[in-house]
Amino acid sequence: MISRHQIAFKNLLRKKARTFLTLVGIVLSSWVLVSLLGFNRGYEAALNRDIDNLGYQIMVMAKGCPYEAATMMLQGGAGLRYIEEDVAKGIESRPEVAGVTPILMQAFFDPNKGDGGGIAGYYGVDMQTFPAMKPFLRFRKGGWPQGSEAAEAVMGFEAAELEQREVGDSILVPEKNVELKVVGILERTGTQDDGTIFVPLKTLQQVAGLDKITTIGIKVKKDADIAKLEAALYQLPDMQVVSFSQVKQTIMKLIATARVMVLSIAVIALLIAMVGVVNTVLMSVMERRHEIGILKTMGAMPGDIFRLVWTETLLLCAGGGVVGIGLALAFARLSDLLVRRVLPYAPGGELVAIDLKLCALTLLIIVAVGLLSGVYPAWKAGRVRPLDAIRGGL
Amino acid sequence: MLTGFGTRLHFPAGKFLLVPALLCLFPLTTPLSAAISCELNFPASDVARLFPGSTGFKTIYFSFAGHGGPPLLRRVEARLGGVPALYAPLEVPYVLYEVYKGTKKIGYVHGVNQKGQFGVLEVFVSLDLEGRIKAFYLQRIAGKWANKFTASKFGAPFVGLTLRDFDQFNLLTGKGRGRVAAMVNPAPEAATDFFGLLRAVNKNLVLMDAFFFAPDPVAP
Repeated sequence: MISRHQIAFKNLLRKKARTFLTLVGIVLSSWVLVSLLGFNRGYEAALNRDIDNLGYQIMVMAKGCPYEAATMMLQGGAGLRYIEEDVAKGIESRPEVAGVTPILMQAFFDPNKGDGGGIAGYYGVDMQTFPAMKPFLRFRKGGWPQGSEAAEAVMGFEAAELEQREVGDSILVPEKNVELKVVGILERTGTQDDGTIFVPLKTLQQVAGLDKITTIGIKVKKDADIAKLEAALYQLPDMQVVSFSQVKQTIMKLIATARVMVLSIAVIALLIAMVGVVNTVLMSVMERRHEIGILKTMGAMPGDIFRLVWTETLLLCAGGGVVGIGLALAFARLSDLLVRRVLPYAPGGELVAIDLKLCALTLLIIVAVGLLSGVYPAWKAGRVRPLDAIRGGL
Repeated sequence: MLTGFGTRLHFPAGKFLLVPALLCLFPLTTPLSAAISCELNFPASDVARLFPGSTGFKTIYFSFAGHGGPPLLRRVEARLGGVPALYAPLEVPYVLYEVYKGTKKIGYVHGVNQKGQFGVLEVFVSLDLEGRIKAFYLQRIAGKWANKFTASKFGAPFVGLTLRDFDQFNLLTGKGRGRVAAMVNPAPEAATDFFGLLRAVNKNLVLMDAFFFAPDPVAP
């Protein structure tokens, strides 16, 4: 005996072009919906990951001192300002602080780097505290320097590739002509660390001929009041504080507007698709009034007709939803690339994170909204009066 | 100053961190690129200097992945003596500057990376359409002897060399005859860099030969 689902499927196939176009509408709207929900989830996770990968949540440096490699490279050594190492000890004693790591950024002029020379940047890091703050750093080969004054260096993946260095090779600090042995090369991280050359802090201080630092990285205790700590750090004279929680909040606020707009577009797309569903099923019901009338004379109850028409809606929405979600999964990386092109700042890693849970949720939304939009046509079909329909009257 | 940018852009109160935030985080996802083999730092002025009389150039990219694949790579490496191998050669695109005078192509500028004593050597040559070196340019070298190699006196003997000149010289043993063998190392303490530079020029000419002057059958 033919089932209700088979009848509904056959009914949909009667008008293939119409069914196909309705299906395309549902496919596109579910594709957009799952991709956007995936973006909502993926962006925040990626941003958190980037910030966590810094190893510390707050940075303190002298006012006006550049604190990232790009500016240091542009300004060279001229923009660097120094702070005393004792400042780090003072900060470490605060109850909110889990640990601090002093950093010295140094830029040396290399006259033989292209025409007119160029800047080579080095990060002096404390071997006692820095590796512990970045436990996620993995070595492709070698390891951290042994000893706080070793004439050794660790190179980020890109830095090593650019300079064609391997563990055991040497690099020369320009200007100072100090030779350092490469003892470790990091795995690719997708962060600034990839282009960085790390040197023991004391070594770099000796090379540069100073006993100060440029930056203090601060790891905050879990559940500590970061705002309170930031407020206290702002009181330090001539210091600037960069809080990555603030950075994150600022970026999330910036993105939030875009997210609301894009989600609105997704909802509108979903509504348009559902109007298409209503139209298709209603048209189908109108065209089959005569047939529905015969079914009723044969004993079909209004509930049977309602369920039959509703099943058609269910098949349309479930089919379109599954295909749309499949396309979203297949083209997730492409969506990722497109999103990256339009966003002012995009963290590393997966931006559009689509998993099975999200797929199921999207399918549920599509089917639920679809079934809702199928209520009216199904109700209309259930109310058809058999004799009027057979006679062709209203 | 970074915070100055934020102020000048007139972000609402409390949003002053936006620009530093973006500047700070942007490099996290844009690590220094090593995706391209060897590029001129200032192509417009460098090409004009390396190719006097030129009026323009076109930048093109080629790679083993796009042309010839692993078979061509193996043949090229064999021509280079097997050791040292090309560095990340298969996927990495090489950059070639096609040089024009008006609409007429008059030559090429091409660079390669080579491992040096304290860092990478970025070695460019300009070539006429027959593959003869017209100019030698060492864009990058590390070491206190660097200026001896970047001096025009060191680069001059490369002018006029072709791939045939390198056939008479063994780059692995450092022995042979002809013009390449006659070249003098200006910094005897920097033998790694000196032979690295010779190997780089040879690699440069071999790549140009394999891809452009006498394309291998597997390469288009």
